[in-house]
Amino acid sequence: MAELNQKPLTDVQLKQRKLERKIEMRHHVTSFSLMIFLTFAAFAMVALELDPLIITAAVIVMALVQVILQFYYFMHMKDKGHGFIRLFMLVGMYFAIAFVLCYVLIVWIGLPIGSV
Amino acid sequence: MAATAQKRSAWSVIWDYLTTVDHKKIAILYLMGGGFFFLLGGLEAMLIRIQLAVPNNDFLSAGMFNQVITMHGTTMIFLAAMPLLIAFMNAVVPLQIGARDVAFPFLNALGFWVFFFGGVFLNLSWFLGGAPDAGWTSYASLAIDSPGHGVDFYALGLQITGAGTLMTGINFVTTIITMRAPGMTFMRMPLMTWTTLVAAVLIVFAFPPLTIALFLLIFDRMFGSNFFIVEAGGNTIIWEHFFWIFGHPEVYILILPAFGIFSEIFSIFARKRLFGYSSMVFATVLIGFFGFMVWAHHMFTTGLGATANAIFGVATMAIAIPTGIKIFNWILTIWGGSIKFTTPMLYALAFIPSFTMGGVTGIMLATVPADYQFHDTYFVVAHFHYVIVGGTVFAILAGLHLYWPLMFNTMLNERLGKWTFWLFFTGFHLTFLIQHWLGLWGMPRRVFTYLDGQGYNLANMVSTIGAVLMAVATLILAYNIVMTIVRNERVGKDPWGDGRTLEWSLPLPVPYYNFAQIPLIRGLDAYQIEKEENNGEMIPSEPLDDFHMPNNSFIPFVMSFGLFVTGFGALYFASGKDWAINAVSNMPVHDWALYVLIAGLAITFISMGVRSWKDDLGYYVKKEELERDLAALEEERGAN
Repeated sequence: MAELNQKPLTDVQLKQRKLERKIEMRHHVTSFSLMIFLTFAAFAMVALELDPLIITAAVIVMALVQVILQFYYFMHMKDKGHGFIRLFMLVGMYFAIAFVLCYVLIVWIGLPIGSV
Repeated sequence: MAATAQKRSAWSVIWDYLTTVDHKKIAILYLMGGGFFFLLGGLEAMLIRIQLAVPNNDFLSAGMFNQVITMHGTTMIFLAAMPLLIAFMNAVVPLQIGARDVAFPFLNALGFWVFFFGGVFLNLSWFLGGAPDAGWTSYASLAIDSPGHGVDFYALGLQITGAGTLMTGINFVTTIITMRAPGMTFMRMPLMTWTTLVAAVLIVFAFPPLTIALFLLIFDRMFGSNFFIVEAGGNTIIWEHFFWIFGHPEVYILILPAFGIFSEIFSIFARKRLFGYSSMVFATVLIGFFGFMVWAHHMFTTGLGATANAIFGVATMAIAIPTGIKIFNWILTIWGGSIKFTTPMLYALAFIPSFTMGGVTGIMLATVPADYQFHDTYFVVAHFHYVIVGGTVFAILAGLHLYWPLMFNTMLNERLGKWTFWLFFTGFHLTFLIQHWLGLWGMPRRVFTYLDGQGYNLANMVSTIGAVLMAVATLILAYNIVMTIVRNERVGKDPWGDGRTLEWSLPLPVPYYNFAQIPLIRGLDAYQIEKEENNGEMIPSEPLDDFHMPNNSFIPFVMSFGLFVTGFGALYFASGKDWAINAVSNMPVHDWALYVLIAGLAITFISMGVRSWKDDLGYYVKKEELERDLAALEEERGAN
């Protein structure tokens, strides 16, 4: 909570800053349109009444891609200084997936592993 | 400082503690709260041992015995061991990393008060129709069936307490990652800080499953849902998985800070650098990671199938490797050291064999075919008391002696401390060693009595005598604490004479802002380096200047009180309702329950609103005040 310590940017820095923002914006727009497209594709597949198995598999894959785009481009996980956040999220996700898999196998399906 | 402190009225001191956001005072609050519950849990343990001392005893009824064992386990784990460790984390870690407070001081205070009200709520069950009686694991098939409100107290009390612990976990992760002094890289952090970091990470990942499990139980028992009600399509095994996904990391949350405290003690009193520092760090992180992969070893006999059991059994055994690394590193730290046999060091030395014995029985339990024999016998009771008492409780008692001067500016009496140690150590082994055999002879756990002529009589009597020795040791410790406070003999900086880490470089009493200037850290054992190279003076990393500190606040207390009130509303909500489970549907209807529930939530949310919308910008500690304090310290040193 120290006092503000701001120096005016030099022209070169300003130019650099603007360029970075431009690239950032391009990333945002690209990933946003990709996400829209993926959502559209998911709806389209359902509308075309493809084989439910294919739809389920494809939708799960596309959802995963969307999650990654969301985290990395919209929630800044790709940026510098987010190492710990990335580590925590990945480790947490690893555990969560392991737990869910375990629940599905030994609670929901209910057969002991190895007997199938 | 001392003169002004004595002039303050009792009420102003109480008000100060009710509103404090200072990590050092919160540490004292945690120590008092945890200490109180530790005595309560110990009392319950004594009741258990009295009941089991002789066969066919009717000192406690069967129902009462179930309540006592449930509350003994729950109290000791959630309300005694964890808060006492958090007390030391609060007292030591910010000083050890060179911070002026934790990252979120308000959240720290809130965490304490939420824990405290949750613990009080849980224990009020004794006076309000009976305590929970489904075991500390509260398996859903028992918990749903348990008549009366006992299990409701468990579910709500732990939910409230757990929220407090979760806040503390988040707080310490943030503090340690973001607030280390300049020069303190991760690989220069003392082991106490490392183990606190890993334990805090475990809290962050392990408590949400418990929160979910408790919510499911709360919904089933109080709001008419069917998660665990088998006849309505529920599944009680889900509770077991949830509970142990939380419960196994939980035991590492208990043991890792204990490892940290012992690592500090070994290197201070062997007067050597910790052997194998980087492998210690590696082992700590690895234990934390493995902790999430082994929960089903608590459920081998549930019927997961041979493959699942084998996977979890092998994963469990793998944890012995990092733990073994630690044990050898500690031994090699002592090896060739110039050892001082102080009370903390005695606990630390006793910890190595005691904890290793618990570890070895852990490997035995991880062997699936053998576990079918050990399951639900006293062998399991002996195992987990060896690791929790031989590890965590020893660490708490050792830490109490070690960090007492840092927290209270006086020293606990060493002679009484050694009496406590020897009595406690003897009593502990007397109580629990024999229980291994009791288990192998077939005595089941959680059963309120046994018949004469089964060969259990002598062993149970030995066990009870051991428990009495531990009780005597605790009383001596209490006497020691009272006498130390009464005598009030102040000690100065670095009271043990061999402090190696940053916290010992501070003047005692530690100023409320901790560091007038944040020091520069030049390596592991920062203070020891300056003792060798700079006459024990820390090099400042910043000029003497104003800095910012947070204001005290009464809001955490009010916010937690709101949750406490909410708990009662939720608890009595289902009483006598026809949609409720059988356990509570024939109880008297309480029409006020809903209003109490709403009122409690209103208190909490309004205080959250006040906190959010009313700006509290804190204050600045002025340079002039710091200069005055430093001059006073200089003068004091001159006088000596």
